[in-house]
Parts: sequence; structure tokens; C-alpha cells
Amino acid sequence: MNALLTSAVAGLTAGGTYALLGVCAVFTYRLVAVVNFTGAAIGTAGTFALIALYEAGFPIWPSVLAGIAAGTLTGVTVGYIMTRWFGEASASTKAAVTVALLVGLIAVGLRLTGGQHPHNMPELFPGSAFRLAGVEVTIASVLTIGLAVLFTILSDLFLHRTKVGLNLRALADRPMAAELLGVRVQLLSLLVWGMTGAFTTFALMIIAPQRSPNFMTLSLLVVPALAAALVGVFRSFWWTLAGGIALGVVEGLASSIDSISQYRSAIPFLVVLAVLLWSQREARWDEAR
Amino acid sequence: MHWKSKLLAAAIAGIGLAAMAGTASAAGPTCKDGAIKVGAVSTVTGPADFSEVPKATQAAFDAVNAAGGINGCKIDYTIADDKADPAVAAQAARDLIDNKEAVALVGSASLLDCAVNSATYSRKKILSVQGLGVDAACFSSPNVAPVNVGPYTLSTAMAYYATNELKTKKLCAFFIIIGGTQEAYKKAIENWEKISGQKIHLIDLTLPFQGDLTPYVIKARDAGCDAVLTNQVEPQVVQLIKTVDAQKISGINWLFLAPGYTEQVAKALADTKQPIYVGTEWEPYTEKNSAANAEWIADMQKANRPLTAFSQGGYLAAELFLKAVASIDGEVTRESVATALHDMQPLTNPLAGSPYVFGKAKTHSPMQATKVMKLESGAWKVETPDWLVLPQAK
Repeated sequence: MNALLTSAVAGLTAGGTYALLGVCAVFTYRLVAVVNFTGAAIGTAGTFALIALYEAGFPIWPSVLAGIAAGTLTGVTVGYIMTRWFGEASASTKAAVTVALLVGLIAVGLRLTGGQHPHNMPELFPGSAFRLAGVEVTIASVLTIGLAVLFTILSDLFLHRTKVGLNLRALADRPMAAELLGVRVQLLSLLVWGMTGAFTTFALMIIAPQRSPNFMTLSLLVVPALAAALVGVFRSFWWTLAGGIALGVVEGLASSIDSISQYRSAIPFLVVLAVLLWSQREARWDEAR
Repeated sequence: MHWKSKLLAAAIAGIGLAAMAGTASAAGPTCKDGAIKVGAVSTVTGPADFSEVPKATQAAFDAVNAAGGINGCKIDYTIADDKADPAVAAQAARDLIDNKEAVALVGSASLLDCAVNSATYSRKKILSVQGLGVDAACFSSPNVAPVNVGPYTLSTAMAYYATNELKTKKLCAFFIIIGGTQEAYKKAIENWEKISGQKIHLIDLTLPFQGDLTPYVIKARDAGCDAVLTNQVEPQVVQLIKTVDAQKISGINWLFLAPGYTEQVAKALADTKQPIYVGTEWEPYTEKNSAANAEWIADMQKANRPLTAFSQGGYLAAELFLKAVASIDGEVTRESVATALHDMQPLTNPLAGSPYVFGKAKTHSPMQATKVMKLESGAWKVETPDWLVLPQAK
């Protein structure tokens, strides 16, 4: 029992990461109607800008700001491509385009950052917050989970309580109608892309020191994040938050049980499958198709 | 210094013998068009870049060609890129064998060359002096004999070091399993169990290639491991040690294989207090003043190539191949090269701790020696100045 608790707590770090990136994915989807596979890659680009500056000897906090600016810029660039050329495309086309962009970003990123060679990743928030069930819960993990909760609350308020939020929801559902009503579609969309770019960059700067510090593995964090987003059916921020943390905890548990441990990386897919089956449970075959 | 003078004496005697053999037969190797065609299959573009290995082979061949070649024969060397794609790798091998008429493959280094092409090499009766054996098939094929120790033998050697030198009682092993490497790693641990007479305390074959490592380091701590051996590559080595530090774990020796032995890893882990050991494939490349490295360094600097472990492998493959070719009397063909390699006497080279021999065995892992490096405040220090040679399993 104790061993299980230990491994569950050990999974919290990963869970916070998935939740935070998952909430960002839902935010993007609800505001600009794109299932964004490049989310983590955008943040990774910004993070590597920080690493490059830090390794070149610049002081850390100005480098963080420059990194966030680079992430924002990458986000806006991806957003520009999406709104300029694929604004009217179907959701599945848009998702496919972001997958293509992800592959491109990873290829370019790996070349620019020296492939598999590790980098000296500065730890923005070093140290451990407290010890639980024999596991050191790091300040970075606590911060990740805290930020995920904060972003969940802010997103909920922003979407449901502000004029801009209302405009953005209109824009996601009916971009053409919104534009006719005088909503500045392009500008607002780019704003959303820039905001999520900045936010995921900051998130990844906290996460990166605990992960394998190379461009591809960080970019592919988007897979469990999208699994978490699917738990919230790309609508509910709170369910996404819970889904992400649960995913990390289940992964942690799985690694302590030898017989299922080797299938642990399949867990996000099992979660996706389970959620899809559950969400379609009352649909008849014809409708579901 | 005693062994050095012995080595020198042996070398002089060797040169004398070679000279005598040369005058006795007076023929030496000959070639049809003034060239000996040699190829390599390597991953140049794709997820990893191993081209440093065959480029060093090229540099060694260029040096020989510049000095007039072997007995007047120039080496015509082609490096084929397999792009880490099985179809491209198969095509590259066929092109080298059928169109370029290569007599042997030297200095290949690829993610999948052996797995894809070893059957072709057997069918076409061509041998490969692999510069860097990566996949398990490189160490289990009759026509491939790598000049590196390789991850499996090195796992056994590092485990042996842990029990013999670090006096480890509870050795734990965590492996990332990619493709068909599971059996090879299990065998590596079994070999160590036979040699040391100990049992592995914990073996975990589920280490993820990406993902959080906290559950694994907790598992190692709670199992009471004194030493942990893993086959992780560069970025994961850094991630593992950072996770260990975040969990404030102490009292465990961390053992890695050759991919962890890079200057980037040393720099990224400059602040850690964890005891970190890596096993090298050859004479430690960071030891710029070592006598064993002198020739390799001189030749690489002349060719303007970087001094990396990869380039040692390519250089060593070239040197060993050149010696084998020099022993041929008559025309250098695929058959005569195969005979020379099959019947060769073990060849020593200061870059490696074991003599290299191809021979007629069904599988080859001639290299059985490593030097262990320890990370000390951001730099690698040699822990075993003498080669750690793996004894035969009882």
C-alpha cells in the first residue's frame, strides 16, 4: 500500500505537466477552434532560446523574458499560418496541419539545437517543497500544478465573464458571422496564439530541467497533454486538469508494477480510447458515425 | 613505464617480422585498376548522425593514399547514407556491393545497417569491419565484427567493475529496450552473473525513452540498490542524475555506457555530487596526452577532423583493415580480403584494450576491454589507468 502511494506521488510531477499543457490545449481549441499539436513545440522553441542565451553567458531572468518573447513569436507565427490559410478549414484539416507543423518544428529544432546532445538547462526554481510518502515533491512540480489550477480558473473566468472572452467564443464557433458582426477576427486569434505561446514557454521552462533536455522529447509532451484535454472533451478546463494529474499518477503507479510497467507509455492512448467510448456510450451507431 | 618498453619491443619485433615476411614472398597485395574499393553504410542524415565514424576512416585512408597507397594501391572509399531507413540501407548496401564492387565494408556506423544488411553480407560473402556496432545484429552475425565493445559486452564489463572495484553487493540494472535488444541485455547480465557468481538484485527492462524518471529512481532507492547500471544515452543520463538530485538520493553509484561519455554530459552535470561512472569503447578520447591516442590525434589533426570517440572507431577500423590487406599476397578481391580476415592473427592497437580478430566464428565481439571514467566537477577522470579486461565466463 505504502509502495503504491509512493509511486503515485512520484507520478505527480508528470501529472502537473500534462495538466498544464492540456489546459493550454483546451484554451486554444475553445478560442480558435484548432486541436493544436504544436503547443509543446512552441514552448520548447522558447525554452531553447533561453538555453542558448544562458549558455552564451547572459543573466538568467532577462534570458527568461527573451525566451518567452521567442515563444510568443513562434506561437504568433504558427497562428498566422493557421488563420491566414486555414481559417475556414475543417477542424480535422487544421489538426492535420498542426501535425505537419510539429514534424517541421521538431526537424528544424533538432538540427539547430545539436540533436541528442544535452544542454545545460538552468533551473528557475530549484529545490524541493516538501516530502510526501518518501518522495521529494519539488518546488517546480508544485508550481506546475499550481499554475495549471491558476490557468484553469483564469480561463474559466475569462471565457465566461469578459466581453473579449465572449467575442473569442463567437469567433471559434462561427468565424465568418463574428467577422460580419465587427469582431476583429485575425487580431484576436493572433492574440490567443501569442498568449498561449508565452504561457506554454514559461511552463516548459519550469518543466524542462526535470525532463530529457532535447527538442523532440519536450515537443512530444503534447501527446499526453492532448489525452488530458480529451478527458475534458476539449471543453471543460477542470476535467482536463483532473485528467492530466490522474494520467501522471496512473503512469507512476504503473511503473511500480512490473507486469504492466513496459506498457506504461501506452496509457495516454488507453485513456483516449476509454474517454471516446464513454462519451459515445449513448450514441447510436448511425449518429456516432 | 615497463609495459611501454615491452610494447615498443613487441612492435619493433612485429615490424621486423612483417618486413621479413614481405621480403620472403616479395609479392604483397596487388590491385587491378590501381585502386582497392571499400565502402561504408552509415546513418548521416536522420534522427542520429554517425558520419563522424566513416569520415575518420576516410581520413586514415587519405593519409595512406597521400603516402602512395598500400603497395601502390590507392583506397577508393565510398560512404553511403542510409538515412536510418531500412529500404535506403538495403539499397545502399546493394549499390556498394554490386555497382561499386567494394571488397569489404570498413568503418560503417548506423542505427540499422547490421539488422537490415547482415544477411546480404553473408549471401554476397563480403565482410564488414564495423566502425561502431550499434544494433544487436552487429554482434550476432558471421560477416560483421565491430571494432567497438558495444553496449552488451560493456554492460557486463561495467557490472563486473561495480562488483570488483566498487564492491557493490546489490547491483540493479535498468535498461531502455529498443527493437530486438531485450535478449542481448538479458544475456549481458547473465554473463556477469556467471563471471561474478552474484545475482542481480533488480533488473527492470521498462525504462522509458522519454517520460518522467522519478518513479524509477524511487524504485532504485527503495530496493536498496548500491549501484545502478543503465544503458541511457546522453540526454537521459542528464535527466536521470537531475531527478536523483531532486529526490536527494545518496549512496548509489551510477554506471553508464559509452554514450554517456561526452563533454556535453560532463558540462551539464558539473554541479552534481553523485558518483557517476561510464565505460569507454576505446582509450578515453578526452585524454589528449595519452601515448595510446598520439597517432590517432596526429592523423585527425592533419585531416582537420574533430577528436571524438566516434572518430576513434572509424580510425581504428581503417588501421586494422589496412594491416589485414597488407598481409594479402596477390590481388585484393572480396575473396582474398575475406580469407585474410578469416585467417588473421589477433591484431593489437593502442586505442583498444583487446586484440582485434575477425575469424570464422558465427558471431563476433572481439573487443572485451574498457576503461572506466568518473565524473568529477564537470570533467571526466580516468578511474582505471589499466584496461579492465572482462574475464571469460566460467
